[in-house]
Amino acid sequence: MSLAVVYAVLFYVAAVIFLGGLAWKISSYARTPAPLKIPTTPAPTTRFGVVARMVREVTVFESLFKSNKWIWLFGWIFHFALVLVLLRHFRYFQEPVWFWVDLIQPFGKYAGFAMVAGLLGLWARRVVVDRVRYISSPSDHLMLALLVAIGGTGLLMKYVAHTDIVALKAYMLGLLRFSIQPLPADPVLLIHLALVATLMLIFPISKLLHAPGVFFSPTRNQIDNPREIRHAQGWTAQIRHDA
Amino acid sequence: MFSLRALTLTMVLAGLATTAAGDVPRPEVKAYKGETCVEETGFMRRNHMELILHQRDETMHRGIRTTKHSLKECIECHADPQTRSVLGENGFCQSCHSYAAVSIDCFSCHTPKAREQSAAVEKRP
Repeated sequence: MSLAVVYAVLFYVAAVIFLGGLAWKISSYARTPAPLKIPTTPAPTTRFGVVARMVREVTVFESLFKSNKWIWLFGWIFHFALVLVLLRHFRYFQEPVWFWVDLIQPFGKYAGFAMVAGLLGLWARRVVVDRVRYISSPSDHLMLALLVAIGGTGLLMKYVAHTDIVALKAYMLGLLRFSIQPLPADPVLLIHLALVATLMLIFPISKLLHAPGVFFSPTRNQIDNPREIRHAQGWTAQIRHDA
Repeated sequence: MFSLRALTLTMVLAGLATTAAGDVPRPEVKAYKGETCVEETGFMRRNHMELILHQRDETMHRGIRTTKHSLKECIECHADPQTRSVLGENGFCQSCHSYAAVSIDCFSCHTPKAREQSAAVEKRP
């Protein structure tokens, strides 16, 4: 089998497992009851307030900022840069390219460095800070290694060992149209793509599920109104009050 | 068994896909003059920008004027005979650059047009 077919199978399998796994996990989060009213106080007392707090939480990582400035700094730099880098990659999946994707290309380019810098900061913390090193599991290091390797190979292609990005885009557009096109056989590209497929495969069983998970966190998504409205879900809903 | 079934399904899909080579959008790449480029095609597709920038440094900073990797010579071969330009919708440079969403800096200073017919040049005193 040619390289193009091997990678096509890899990406189709990875896409099915990534999307299917994510849908499975999200539906299980949505079905899990939160028996107790436990918003982290001070918490908003209105639905609008909760939405606003959630928006702040996922855009500027408010609670992390309040708890640890160093983790916030590296974490926020990494996540913000990751968004730019992902948006920059849209160009490989659309023809014609949307004008704002075209517009952010140079920002995404430098965000690649910021992303890796943020990751290295977060990784240094797991090695240098004693109490964090003590609670770090192999998977914590694995996820950081994987993301650093993906960012590193991406930067290598951009700045050192270029690949044929026109052929690559034709390959990616081909995957979306179920038509397998030739894949440039540059080692750095093949490593980059294999690592991305690996990330997609393990995403639904990894700590990276904090991305959808944050929205289902009872301490973040509940309105602080226990006296106005009685909260009952799961086992608290089964308690009989007339007994 | 979920993943095994998915694997079989994608193998079948991949098999179908290879047989029916679809209509994948690609930029139009045409060279109008010359048999071969100054370097091998695969190398040029990956590294043409490095050559052009290196040539600029050699020429501008060190005063070494050679023609092998000069932008002017690129344009001479690759300009569309109709428009005399490497830009334009199907232009040699622009078709790929807009396909890959990469901006081209060259032509904010340099001309994207090939030289006039040589007769016009010879007419000059």
